[in-house]
Amino acid sequence: MSTFTTECYQNEYLPLGGSEVNAIVTVTSDGAAGETIQPKAAEIVLVDTSGSMGAPRRKLEAAREATSVAIDCIRDGAAFGVIAGTEVARAVYPTDGTLVPASARTRAEAKKALRRLTAQGGTAIGSWLTLAGTLFATMPGRSCHAILLTDGENQHESDEHLDGVLAELEGQFQCDCRGVGTDWRVSELRRISSALLGSVDIIAKPEDMAEDFRALMQTAMGKATGDVALRLWTPQGASVAFVRQVAPVIVDLTGRAVQVNPQTADYPTATWGSESRDYHVCINVPPGAVGDEMLAGRVSLVEGDETRAQALVKAMWTDDQQLSTRINREVAHYTGQAELAECIQEGLEARKEGDLATATFKLGRAVKLASESGNDGTMKLLQAVVDVDDAATGTIRLRQDVATVDEMSLDTRSTITVRIGSGAT
Amino acid sequence: MTVVCPRGHDSQATDYCDRCGAVIVGGSASGGATQVLPVVEEADTSPAARRAPCPACGAERSGDDRYCEGCGYDFLAPPPAPWTWEAIVTADRAQFDRLAVAGVSFPADYPERRFALADAETRIGRSRGHPDEHAPEIDLAAAPADPGVSRLHAVLEQGGDGAILVRDLNSTNGTMVNDNPMPIAPQTAVRLADGDRVRVGAWTTITVRKR
Repeated sequence: MSTFTTECYQNEYLPLGGSEVNAIVTVTSDGAAGETIQPKAAEIVLVDTSGSMGAPRRKLEAAREATSVAIDCIRDGAAFGVIAGTEVARAVYPTDGTLVPASARTRAEAKKALRRLTAQGGTAIGSWLTLAGTLFATMPGRSCHAILLTDGENQHESDEHLDGVLAELEGQFQCDCRGVGTDWRVSELRRISSALLGSVDIIAKPEDMAEDFRALMQTAMGKATGDVALRLWTPQGASVAFVRQVAPVIVDLTGRAVQVNPQTADYPTATWGSESRDYHVCINVPPGAVGDEMLAGRVSLVEGDETRAQALVKAMWTDDQQLSTRINREVAHYTGQAELAECIQEGLEARKEGDLATATFKLGRAVKLASESGNDGTMKLLQAVVDVDDAATGTIRLRQDVATVDEMSLDTRSTITVRIGSGAT
Repeated sequence: MTVVCPRGHDSQATDYCDRCGAVIVGGSASGGATQVLPVVEEADTSPAARRAPCPACGAERSGDDRYCEGCGYDFLAPPPAPWTWEAIVTADRAQFDRLAVAGVSFPADYPERRFALADAETRIGRSRGHPDEHAPEIDLAAAPADPGVSRLHAVLEQGGDGAILVRDLNSTNGTMVNDNPMPIAPQTAVRLADGDRVRVGAWTTITVRKR
């Protein structure tokens, strides 16, 4: 059985009248399957086969090849299927409305079916996801995961329809989204991946697709737990300001709370392999008197009905300003990383709208934050969009000739954070 | 096992009460913070030692001390120049939380800024990010910009009698004074006292002080 451990970083001291408690909780899972059998998995690959996938031709060929690679990574016995998506969704393999256990025979059959794919039609991603949901529903008790590949905007259905589909499918399966080329919308795939607790990324060149799919499927196969929830208990009179995953990527979970009882809520975290994630919890508690100590939050990792690990978030009131004004390093770091992601997204939005003053300010601030926190990955992506005069002060100039792929890469990867100490001070 | 917390709740958890979070006495939680009391200094309070109180803070003067014990006022300094005012610009978390404007986040780092109110008029506003001759003196476009402030929001004016007044210049979101949630009437000068807070935008608080 996979073992979870937690660490909690916070300044528990509050000034008199202070009510906001911030803590970073690091959760680590060793990913060991141990004596119990690995959870039974179900995998679906959703491939965009709209007309644009045929131009250039190698896009569809690359998708076909990448899907084959992904199928090869599925372990024997795990159920799988392939869906082709246009303005409607069609099960490519198997075609009988279920999923099949992976074996040498079924993998070969699936690859054969892939060869018959042609690029023709529109894009209605909601309908693809609905079909995936229906197929997963035939496999109860499995941990379900999908990979969605598209190269265009969701043109053939309304935003409202997609929102409705996502609301219905939340919690039923996990979906990693990949956009190939530059004609898709980052905000759209981010909406899907965040609702379905997956990742989102850009695949600039079709030939990189196979490697990416292999990594995704291997990660999915390495999952050693079923669905795990982050359970947060707060005292009477307290309220949760926000709960967000802050590493390895930022995912706001605040709106995803499922109330267990009036004082306890569960936030979904999907499945875990051998990995470590950080969560930022912000709770408002009723202020206490000097010297009071209270528990502001009890954070547990819960799989099914079983509590796997726990961390305590405390609050103590003091009139010693030296104690209460100290800002915890981890909290400050991740507050900065969240602002960094926000600055990039707002800066790019402003740039698109032609508000160059706001774009310069926001992206300049992003450069400063990325430089201070040692987020080199984000810094490199920023440098493709702006010319940095002085990173320390965030003095930048917007570049005139920005490739769409650079802009989209920056947008897509804006939520990737670094941990303290992984870069410069 | 059920235990009773200091506030009388029944709790299943034995470290902290599972209703109110209070520490369970004798439980597994650690104790409270240690408090260090400041040393109280003795002052000469004999009647003979008393002189006129400090003109700045009103504290009693001890003996022939040159500096006021309360505020450090120099009793031997030449009388100060006529009172002038300064404005201290800070970000107020409580104000931000109360307004709870969607899509706006509270700045992580907001350096306090001070402006001398030397001129007859000191304008408050938000320039377009590149200061020019039209930029207001108190420019809230400087990072991090308060999005709730109008381009030309309000003005601080010197009254004839040395007082300071604030006048809202038909701003979009209004100008509030101290804890009054109602904005002041536009184009009407409101008299401010030392320490009054002028609140604009999503978090900006401008405290006026005599100096």
